[in-house]
Amino acid sequence: MILREVEDRDLVLRARRGEVDAYNVLVSRWERRVFNYLLRIVNDRQDSEDLSQEVFLKAYLSLKKLVEPSRFAPWLFRIAHNEAFSLMRRRRPEAEAEPEATGQLTASRMYPQELSLAVAAALARLPAEQREAVLLKVYQGFKFEEMAEILECPVSTVKSRLYTALDRLKDVLAPLSERSVS
Amino acid sequence: MNCNHADLKGYLLGELPPDERRQVEEHLKVSPACQEDLDRLRLTHTALLALRDEEPSRRIAFVSDKVLAPNWRQRFWSAAPRLGFASAALLAVAIVSHGWLTRPPQPATPTLDAAALERQVQAEVQRRLPAAVAQAVAESEARQTRKMAEVLKAAEERLSLETRGQLVAVQEAFDLLNKRMNIMYVASSEVGGAR
Repeated sequence: MILREVEDRDLVLRARRGEVDAYNVLVSRWERRVFNYLLRIVNDRQDSEDLSQEVFLKAYLSLKKLVEPSRFAPWLFRIAHNEAFSLMRRRRPEAEAEPEATGQLTASRMYPQELSLAVAAALARLPAEQREAVLLKVYQGFKFEEMAEILECPVSTVKSRLYTALDRLKDVLAPLSERSVS
Repeated sequence: MNCNHADLKGYLLGELPPDERRQVEEHLKVSPACQEDLDRLRLTHTALLALRDEEPSRRIAFVSDKVLAPNWRQRFWSAAPRLGFASAALLAVAIVSHGWLTRPPQPATPTLDAAALERQVQAEVQRRLPAAVAQAVAESEARQTRKMAEVLKAAEERLSLETRGQLVAVQEAFDLLNKRMNIMYVASSEVGGAR
């Protein structure tokens, strides 16, 4: 993580000096993570791709506002968070679409692809704020303080959302994980 | 530490400071329920990691767009080393310009136009060639005439000498014949006188 921050900082500084190629490297480094983060929040590929584009464009245009270049990642996910929840507010009726049931998947041993689908479904059932907390912690590896910075809320709120989400997921996923075929 | 205070999720996620982490580990040794709960959290975490990343169907396009690249003025002023290099370049240009503008006057050298020069040469050759050829032919003819005259003269002289020689020989042969006839006449006269 430290090496990543150092490289990000160097790339940010070069991009600020006008080296578009340096920003291209930043994009290629983060676009997949940002896309998957957005995908799990808004549950729509097309929206996620459009939002990814928006996120990186806004980040580029406001790169000079980034106070600490080494903290590029939390800052980038802060922009992604804002974009995702802005879209969800505009589409509130569809935003919390009912995910597919996972009941049938619990009956037998699970293959990796099935387990992946079950996890996606379980995540989709969580409230958006709890789901986002899981995404930032489990998949993006941010510390609680970084998550608080991204979500603009206290660390206690971050922990509350994350712990509640883990309790819910534990009831669904722990039994599946026990039966999974590695 | 009791079960309510054990931050098992913080422990699992690696967010606890070392001393608090040790306390949780001590508590897990005496609390099978918390150990079981931690095992279920680990299974949940493992299951979550089974979620596969998806690939975006298109890449971020705008980053290669030249519109986003700063213009030359921004690039120029954004880097101090470049500014230093530009200053050095300007200084070099000034020195070279000064040297050029203050150089001593040099005689103007005619500009040679190879094509025009070639045309002039061709025209002069065309102009002079017939006369030169005529002169050469005339000289050659004169040389031939002189040589012919000399040969004729030599031939005439040789023929004259030969003719003169032949005439002398005829003269000599006639004189010899005349002498023999005289001798025969004298001899016949002497034979007749004696009878």
